[in-house]
Amino acid sequence: MATLILMFNKQVIKEYPLLKDSVSIGRQHDNTVVIDNLAVSGYHARIDMAGSAYILTDLQSTNGTFVNDEKIVSQKLAHGDNIAIGKHVLLFLATEKVKETGKKASLNKTMVLDTMKQRKLLAKQQTAPSTPTAPEKVGVVSFIDGSDLGEIELNKKLTKIGKADSSEIKLAGMLMGATAATISRRPSGYVISFAGGMTKLKVNGQIVKESAPLHDFDTIELGSYRFQFYQKEKEVPGS
Amino acid sequence: MHLRTSGISDIGLQREGNEDSLLVEDSLGLYIVADGMGGHLAGEVASKVAVEMINKSYRKWLMSETPEDELFGYPDRSLSRPGNYILSSIRLANRVIYEMAVVYDQYHGMGTTVSIVLVTSGLVVAANVGDSRIYMVRDGRLERLSKDHTIVSEQVEMGVMSAEEAAVSPLKHILTRNLGSAENVDAEIFEIEPSNKDRLILCSDGLTDLVSDEEILAVTKKAEDPENLCQKFVQLARSRGAHDNTTVVSVFLDDMGKRRGSPIKKIGMLFADLVISLQKFTKKSGK
Repeated sequence: MATLILMFNKQVIKEYPLLKDSVSIGRQHDNTVVIDNLAVSGYHARIDMAGSAYILTDLQSTNGTFVNDEKIVSQKLAHGDNIAIGKHVLLFLATEKVKETGKKASLNKTMVLDTMKQRKLLAKQQTAPSTPTAPEKVGVVSFIDGSDLGEIELNKKLTKIGKADSSEIKLAGMLMGATAATISRRPSGYVISFAGGMTKLKVNGQIVKESAPLHDFDTIELGSYRFQFYQKEKEVPGS
Repeated sequence: MHLRTSGISDIGLQREGNEDSLLVEDSLGLYIVADGMGGHLAGEVASKVAVEMINKSYRKWLMSETPEDELFGYPDRSLSRPGNYILSSIRLANRVIYEMAVVYDQYHGMGTTVSIVLVTSGLVVAANVGDSRIYMVRDGRLERLSKDHTIVSEQVEMGVMSAEEAAVSPLKHILTRNLGSAENVDAEIFEIEPSNKDRLILCSDGLTDLVSDEEILAVTKKAEDPENLCQKFVQLARSRGAHDNTTVVSVFLDDMGKRRGSPIKKIGMLFADLVISLQKFTKKSGK
């Protein structure tokens, strides 16, 4: 049994196991796979089972059906084929029972979802999808110790804090290390690490000797300096 | 700074060829794992080209101290200069593989993942494209320094799918980015300051498909040296069927010497500071 996976903007919307000998795709509600989008024709395409193979046929749709970026009229589907219909993608996955793929390891093969080419194709059709992405956040430290440092955006992957001139955040003090602490942006979020010098690093009053993850409104102390960490939405130029 | 390093690439028990490539280049502190894809040796070619291109371009830019504005593509201002060298070398490798795949029929559709670690004194750069991972064990905890570019991990990040569902999803091997499938590529890149006893592990999905993060942490904590660690990981993958090639590179950091220094040094530094500030004071008052 094969499966169709309906996706929009890289997001999986629904999985359709191909249970019937014939599956229809379109905007009208009596299709097996209903895609409610104006770029999709009422009855756009269909997939028929022929022996152990699956054949995709375009039903003379307005915007066409594409398999791996090639416009098709009728085509035999292979495991991993990308079927583009309007702004949507149907991924065709043949499962182990299909003899054609031979080895059952087929699902372990790595494949790439070619969104770039798909976007280009759609741009040509002037139905380019808008990609709604979550606004990017940036960490900020805000000094609350009476120093006139104010707010500093952490716009480096690795922010060095200390006495050295090369520090992104330069702090004075006799006991302050050249690099006293660092804040790095990692897959898990922002992390502060003690780096050196004789000033103690504290997060919410707790001494940090190695590293500690930073959460919004954590208070950081470094010698006589005190500052708060939080994340704000990045300003997008031109918006 | 003292580095102990090792790397192994194992074909596994089911594949006919090994499409993974690795680099252990201690003279540069550069470590790479790449997992190629594409039939008829194209996967092997893609991963080898990626490793070679990144190694050569990084070396060239480093030796000639190339300014950031003269690299391949716009520099990322949030990165250090070595970070930008790595970023540009990934972009360049991507373009070369992409062009090869477009021009030559036998390479059509080839691509590769890549994960890279650069260790210099005072800076560790970790970069990746695809689903080959980078782990760091520090203070007895495991942390990922890479992001998987797969449909499922993006869904986990968006909160649409749980990590448990992701592990068994039929979509888990579908990448959203790799080197070679598009003209340009966005790499994930992170910079951190190294710490004493850091353990860094780069690996292909042959390992992470079969061995959990918890197991990776447990095995790493017990390992005495990097050779031993790489071998243990390969054995573990083989004991579980090794359906894919397994490649592991491990980097052990020692004597990173956090600048805490000895008490005597500290007193010396304090004294030096005192002298400098006194000098400033006397200069000011002298005017």
